Amino acid sequence: MNDDAVIRVEHVSKKFCKDLKTSMRYGIEDIGRNAVGMPSRCGQLRKQEFWAVDDVSFEVERGQTLGLIGPNGAGKTTLFKMLNGIFWPDKGKITVKGRMGVLIDVGAGFHPMLTGRENIYVNAAILGMSKQETEEKFDSIVEFADIGNFIDTAVKHYSSGMFVRLGFAVAVHCEPDILLVDEVLAVGDEGFQKKCFNKIGQLRDAGTTTILVSHNMHVISTFADKVILLDKGNAHHFENVADGVKAYNKLFWKLEDSGLEKVISGNEHISFFNESINRRVLHPRDTFCISLDYDSQIGYDNLDIDLAIVSSNELGHYFQATNRAYGKQINLPKGRNRLIIRIEDIPINQATARIIISMWTNNRTEKLFWWMIPVEFEGVNYSTGKNFLKARYEIESALRN
Amino acid sequence: MDSRLITTYEPDNSLKKGYRSIFPEIYNELKANRWLIFQLFKKDFLALYKQSFIGLMWAVIIPLVTVGTFVVLNGAGVFNTGAIAVPYALYAVLGVAIWQLFSAGIIASSNSLVLAGPMITKINFSLKSLVVASMGQSILSFLVGFCVVVVLLFYYRFVPSAGILLLPLLIIPIILLTLGLGFVSSLLNGILRDIGNVLSICMTFLLFLTPILYAKPTTGILAVVSTYNPLYYLVSVPRDLALTGVSPEWKGFALSSAFAATVFLVCLVFFHLTETRVTERV
Repeated sequence: MNDDAVIRVEHVSKKFCKDLKTSMRYGIEDIGRNAVGMPSRCGQLRKQEFWAVDDVSFEVERGQTLGLIGPNGAGKTTLFKMLNGIFWPDKGKITVKGRMGVLIDVGAGFHPMLTGRENIYVNAAILGMSKQETEEKFDSIVEFADIGNFIDTAVKHYSSGMFVRLGFAVAVHCEPDILLVDEVLAVGDEGFQKKCFNKIGQLRDAGTTTILVSHNMHVISTFADKVILLDKGNAHHFENVADGVKAYNKLFWKLEDSGLEKVISGNEHISFFNESINRRVLHPRDTFCISLDYDSQIGYDNLDIDLAIVSSNELGHYFQATNRAYGKQINLPKGRNRLIIRIEDIPINQATARIIISMWTNNRTEKLFWWMIPVEFEGVNYSTGKNFLKARYEIESALRN
Repeated sequence: MDSRLITTYEPDNSLKKGYRSIFPEIYNELKANRWLIFQLFKKDFLALYKQSFIGLMWAVIIPLVTVGTFVVLNGAGVFNTGAIAVPYALYAVLGVAIWQLFSAGIIASSNSLVLAGPMITKINFSLKSLVVASMGQSILSFLVGFCVVVVLLFYYRFVPSAGILLLPLLIIPIILLTLGLGFVSSLLNGILRDIGNVLSICMTFLLFLTPILYAKPTTGILAVVSTYNPLYYLVSVPRDLALTGVSPEWKGFALSSAFAATVFLVCLVFFHLTETRVTERV
């Protein structure tokens, strides 16, 4: 074993039962077997059981930050709880060196009727702080939580922000060797989030090992040193965070039904054929080119052509415009011709999307053509936003003689 | 970093480490968590009485009402409390104070894990402390009940025996029995919520089955049941010794205490071995 490893997870698996009643029966059975000194049959699957985490191994060194990512139901929380010792693995072994702290649903131990002061003491004790430790850090906790003179008010009268701040303040003050962070940073206002990240950064600099669970790839890219992607209970390791983030995004691409291209191609006067595109996978700043042959018995003047780029996993458009936006009038002359549309310099970063083109006769009385094209935008390493823009870095001398 | 603090989690942990390590483990856990136990107790206490106008007075009123019911039933001739050498109110209040260590203790501890459900599935802390802390409330109620007893002693100008000073020691067996059963019932209630309801029914039933508010009958089915009921000895012997200084049931008390200690140890080990299995299912 690497001596610097603070957390070592070796071939760990955990199973759960789909049915509650069966789960209770198995529970009683397991407890009974353990109580009489027999090993529980935890290495094998019984009826209705499934592996929530399957043969996961990794090590995290002192001061490192591990990002744990994956879609919902991938086993992140289960793995998290096993690291914390709340669940014990059914197979394999977890070794943890040092004191464990958790930032997960902060304020979970708060009682609404108790005042902030009383709750600090109770919560600190639950998180493993001694009396002396709590008294020493009390002022610092109150200051960090920034709840002012509400300290002697029952926490049920706190705003949700104050509640979370207080919970977070207590949790970070237990000075853990290992910190487990689960998506708590999505709460609180921006100022507080900044404070949280700074505190986590400080702890990391002081040698705290962090495991970060988040769906926010920006957070993962910013903080993680390496990434484990969990998918259906299996772990994929990425020493390079950017690769891990890309693989995470790819997971959702796989779910994409690529047969969604639908074409309305013309009417009795005009027909479209030979629809083609230059590429399905784009990088930021690429140009997307659609080419379309038509054969028309009549001329169509003043057409409307709508272009849109729609994200396939979230709501909203990346882009939508008709030709009018460009001050361009489109007339299709009679005969056999080719229409070419170029969308240039697309800045979209790391996304799956659909490019939609629809063509209407003048005044939108008839839709002549409609095509939806699933596309993928690859991501740029070390960039997580929705767009990848051009940036320039220059250093100029600010001194004038 | 304290590198001595190494924790390992693997299936059947205790089996691999050997059962002999269980007792030091449990002892260290409880010792290390004294402050936590106190804080958890304080939390329960504050939460219970903060929104109540008369607060701790409830600990006086509830046993008094129970005793009052029996006084009325006895006076009306509906229920015969039997031949009791000391003033009945004194006898009954002290009896109920000791009894509720058991009844309230079991109810509180059986609910301790379930009530802390959201917390124990998120934060890893000593579950034993949670169960032990839940006993605090019933010990406090006992102290309040004992104050009522002192008031009654003055009222009746009754001089108790010196055995009353031994009361803190004499109630240890019933506390051990309660804790032991509390450990197991908290786990079972965690898995199967029915246990909580069954227990509340049992407590009412046991109160009538055990000679606490009446003298032990000499004949009939209740006499036989009481002879084999450890709760009878654990309640009545401390009471007899405190009030009169003599008790005919010494032997029964010794046996019941041994029984209580055994139950406590077995249940504690059972809890230690199985607590993580239960958190998965709470």
